[in-house]
Amino acid sequence: MSSYNLTFPRLGRWALFKRKSNLASREETVPRTEVKPPAALEVVERVARAATGEESLPESAAVLARLGLTNKVATRDLNFFYGQTQALFDNHLDIAAQRVTAIIGPSGCGKSTHLRIYNRIYELYREQQATGEVLLDGRNILDPSYDLMELRRKIGMIFQKPTPFPMSVYDNVAYGLKLHYTMKKREMAERVEEALSRAALWDEVKDSLHRPGTALSGGQQQRLCIARALAVEPEVLLMDEPTSAIDPIATAKIEELINDLKDHYAIVIVTHNMQQAARISDFTAFFFQGHIVEFGETQQLFTKPAQKQTEDYITGRFG
Amino acid sequence: MKLRPPTGRRLANLAVSIWAGASALTGIAILFWILYVVIIRGIGALNLSFFTHLPTPPGMGGGGLANAIAGTLALTAGATVIAVPLGLLAGVYLAEFSEESKAGDYSRFSANVLMGMPSIIVGIFAYTLVVVPLGHFSGYAGALALAILMLPVITRTTEDMLRLVPNTLRESALALGAPRWKVTLAIVFRAAKGGLITGILLAVARVSGETAPLLFTALNSPYWFHSLGEPTPNLTVTIFNYAMSPYPDWQQKAWGASLLITLGVLLTTVLTRFLLREKKV
Repeated sequence: MSSYNLTFPRLGRWALFKRKSNLASREETVPRTEVKPPAALEVVERVARAATGEESLPESAAVLARLGLTNKVATRDLNFFYGQTQALFDNHLDIAAQRVTAIIGPSGCGKSTHLRIYNRIYELYREQQATGEVLLDGRNILDPSYDLMELRRKIGMIFQKPTPFPMSVYDNVAYGLKLHYTMKKREMAERVEEALSRAALWDEVKDSLHRPGTALSGGQQQRLCIARALAVEPEVLLMDEPTSAIDPIATAKIEELINDLKDHYAIVIVTHNMQQAARISDFTAFFFQGHIVEFGETQQLFTKPAQKQTEDYITGRFG
Repeated sequence: MKLRPPTGRRLANLAVSIWAGASALTGIAILFWILYVVIIRGIGALNLSFFTHLPTPPGMGGGGLANAIAGTLALTAGATVIAVPLGLLAGVYLAEFSEESKAGDYSRFSANVLMGMPSIIVGIFAYTLVVVPLGHFSGYAGALALAILMLPVITRTTEDMLRLVPNTLRESALALGAPRWKVTLAIVFRAAKGGLITGILLAVARVSGETAPLLFTALNSPYWFHSLGEPTPNLTVTIFNYAMSPYPDWQQKAWGASLLITLGVLLTTVLTRFLLREKKV
């Protein structure tokens, strides 16, 4: 009897026949990712122009340079499109190695969109396009020749909702390892333990490694996802509102964890919670309507914002 | 302006409640009525020789439908072997890779139309496709007809079940560097396992009681089941023949076969229920 029900809910999809697919036209209007890296000479010229003040460095690059920090990731002229709608406009942002960079801004300002370009996860959706450059150690990862597996091993991502795979705690962590490495069983077990320890979860799960990952509490699940990401030895960690779906005590644990992890990774965290940004980050970028309005050291940005819009946002006048 | 008195509202409420309750009861009552009659009249036919012996000519008594039981199992198994891989892959295409493309829309619509296709037409289709060129009725034609009936059910349940898997799960596996096909096989399939098995079992339950598509294809046979390459004995066509016959012992065998199929479908459905409940991983 119930098999017949399946016919009905989707009959609405008839509508799709009428909606003309405009993918082809989109591709014409949205330029494909620029493949060519800038010629070496051009780079030299650009640096020279910057030195003489002809072309100003992006704000974030200037801040990092002033502090003597190197950038792990840098975006230049980064634009992003959902179909015909442009969501990001000329984003220049530098992510310092071994520091936490927070991205704040009102809902829909492009924070997550920006983050999702770093590991090209947006490519799952055909209508989404990025143009410009995202440089990881100086190499443009938007270049289609950049190996996607290598990129995603180097750049780990934690999502808003914990997403344990439907398998045991152990297998959750081992899954990524098996994708990228071949190793003996015993070494695998050591690496899994190490990853779980680094995510401050080992003591809580060491006796239940073979229970399903989904049986853990929300906060534990999120730390399991962090362990899973750490296991493959990434260099950058992207966190997309990692604590917005879990309770305050679990949040405190994860914030503590982020603080411990930053010695080894460049961490970028998107957060709605400004106190959280103030607590855990070294640098903060304020996004508004797809533009990066201001970038600065976190303390500076929260106490003496340079832009009126930043001030309005952090004092709660909008957003 | 005057407040409307509650009397009319209460009366309407009462009337609709009774109407809805009575409709529900009618549906359930009919189901139990059928079950009751089939059990009462069929239980007597179910004895050891029913499961172990060949049918006997009318009036002889004794004998059984062992050949038809074996044939029905073989036909259903054959149909499952054809339809499951195709249906699963079609569902995967629709849910994971079609991205609302034209080809996806057409396939989905075709599956919907096929799901409502009268089974006798599918039977005639298999007849022209297999029976006519071969020149004789065969179990393969029957299995093909049943497979065509299963295909859309499996396709659509697979698609629906895979769509229930949250995208964030796919994204987090992709973000670890997993290639798309591994994400589908290792993560998405595992997350939707219960639902996929349910779809297959529902499809099996749906076709195991089909008679019309077998009339033109597998036909029937009073002999032992040897291979699907020849007319294949099966329960449903046997029921059809025996129930129409004037012989009481044949009629009783038809009741027995009806009970057997009903129990089979019931068990499969209960099993799916059970699996669905287990599905919360």
